[in-house]
Amino acid sequence: MYLKELTELDGVSGNEQQVRDFINQRIKDKVDDLRVDVLGNLIAYKKGTKGRRKIVLAAHMDEVGFMVTNIEEDGTLAFSPVGGVETQVMPGKVVRINGKTIGVIGYKAIHIQDKESLLKPLSVEQLRIYIGAKSKEEASKQVKIGDYVAFTTAFDQENGRVTGKAFDDRAGCSVLMDLIEKNDRYEDDLYFAFVVQEEVGLRGSAVVVEQIHPDIVIVIEGTTAGDDPELPEYQWATHLGDGPAVTFMHRGYVVNKKIYEAILNVAVKYSIPHQAKRRTAGGTDAARFARTGAGTAAGVVSVPSRYIHSPVSMIDLNDYNNAVLLLQKILEEGEAFAR
Amino acid sequence: MDVKELIKELSLLDGPSGYEAEVLKVIEKKIEPFVDKVWYNKVGTLVAEKKGFGKGKLGIFAHADEVGHVITKIEEGLFARLEMIGGVDPKIMFAQRVRIHTKNGVAKGVVGVLPPHLQKEEHRNKVPNFDKIFVDLSCSELGKYVSVGDICVVDMKPVELNGKLCGKAMDDRAGCASLILAAQLLQTLRNYQDVYFVFSGQEEVAGPGAVSIAYELKLDRAIVVDVTHGDVKVPQFVQIKVGEGPAICVGPSIDREFQSKLSEIAQKHNVKTQIEPAPGRSGTDTDEIQLTGSGIRTALVSIPLMYMHTPVEVVDPKDVEETARLLALATTVE
Repeated sequence: MYLKELTELDGVSGNEQQVRDFINQRIKDKVDDLRVDVLGNLIAYKKGTKGRRKIVLAAHMDEVGFMVTNIEEDGTLAFSPVGGVETQVMPGKVVRINGKTIGVIGYKAIHIQDKESLLKPLSVEQLRIYIGAKSKEEASKQVKIGDYVAFTTAFDQENGRVTGKAFDDRAGCSVLMDLIEKNDRYEDDLYFAFVVQEEVGLRGSAVVVEQIHPDIVIVIEGTTAGDDPELPEYQWATHLGDGPAVTFMHRGYVVNKKIYEAILNVAVKYSIPHQAKRRTAGGTDAARFARTGAGTAAGVVSVPSRYIHSPVSMIDLNDYNNAVLLLQKILEEGEAFAR
Repeated sequence: MDVKELIKELSLLDGPSGYEAEVLKVIEKKIEPFVDKVWYNKVGTLVAEKKGFGKGKLGIFAHADEVGHVITKIEEGLFARLEMIGGVDPKIMFAQRVRIHTKNGVAKGVVGVLPPHLQKEEHRNKVPNFDKIFVDLSCSELGKYVSVGDICVVDMKPVELNGKLCGKAMDDRAGCASLILAAQLLQTLRNYQDVYFVFSGQEEVAGPGAVSIAYELKLDRAIVVDVTHGDVKVPQFVQIKVGEGPAICVGPSIDREFQSKLSEIAQKHNVKTQIEPAPGRSGTDTDEIQLTGSGIRTALVSIPLMYMHTPVEVVDPKDVEETARLLALATTVE
């Protein structure tokens, strides 16, 4: 499990280098082939014992964050979200710019806000990153327009749960790395695709199909939970601790019925706890894989995660371990899977 | 004493109003070597006393408490609700880590937030009040011990930003630090007046910390050291700058003569200061200290600070040092 290392790296969409390098280092001796494609996707290959089918397991390396869009005269930085980040989670946080410069997103003290603005949700235009620089000139020595900005949350593990940033989708990356570490051979040829730019419109995954022409793709995600006291139970998407979530539909894609049922059958066969993802909001690279080229049957297995797209998300380690187990069993099924 | 390390250490301590004991214990240890004696009054205010060679009684005040939260409800599934101690903007609460002080130790929590995928217009168009904010305790071994009445603070480790320090509770641990540094300076400067360094509690709720001791000590004069809004535009007001020295306050809750004397001392010794007008109440302990007993001559010295009452308050350690110098010098004259 590489959740600590992976989530403490910065890899905002379009700037996945740190994450890619880390994964590359850890897996390069355990696979038959490894390449980085034009967009920056890292694709590892493990030959199958029969090799009549090609299966892609995909997780995205990128996370939501920000980009510096202007350096103001007073030395503060204007910024814009990269991917979906609610303004709610921005103020009062420490961020890292370009992998090194530390800054904070502050907001005007409660004492000097007028009544109206106190009760009005913030917009990103009202927020700036402060790096301790007093002028544009001073700030320009450390940051440039276009620099990437990530949250700085330290990973924590306690009580069977872990908290940190970017479980969407470093959880998926870690699951893939765990599967590679097991170093088993399966019947099908396997491609582990660590893709870029998922959070800005499922972009990295768009060029994978053409390179592999897979028979099946399974996307491994960190997905929304929503199981908290502010949402009535009927609105929950998943529930932490009930096992990995299997998706039947999300934005832009109804999961191939054969794949969906095959995943469920494996879970049932090996008594692996699992749950259906019970909302159709959000999307994954499965939609992109399914509609690229001549189309591919794609499925989704997810680790339920609370508070994603914020600086502190949370997953249950049982769910994580069961996701690894479920995928391992799927691979062990070999040609019997989704026949 | 390294000023940055001192401020960072004090910022890390948890002490919302009424629960300052841990903070005061640390301050007591730090200041004890520099004074004649230290003691606490009935409401838990810490006093560090240093006799002078002349006459007069000068109290120098900083509050040890910080804004924070208290657990008000426990919900099924290891969740809790909280309310604020002092004024906290709910807008800065989401996705913060918090520390909850339970009887069995410090539990960890996360303030939850709906992911964008599940947010609807009603969530986006409204600022949730504290009724809607919840803490997830399932990431903590001690989560099951959290109970109503437990004190809670945002978990924030101080960071350095180009020489400035950023963290929680800089309001008013920066002030506390300046008092400790001033006491240290009195090892070489000699104080004319009897000096009482007062570390009080419950400032953020306008509680009894400062006024009780001001009464008890029968002070002639009091200097209150607190923080003020720096590097932000407040309509109609001069902009106080972070890094340009402490702000000396002028206004009805300040004694005019005492204030001008303080300004003179600053000028004479090249202590960088700024002037801050407070046309009504100052919003600090000064307001009530002035009215204590038969009246006390007051001055207010404020350390410029950004993002007050958020976990990312910013101060410049140079301002803290300049404040300490001004305080120490103020004790040496009649």
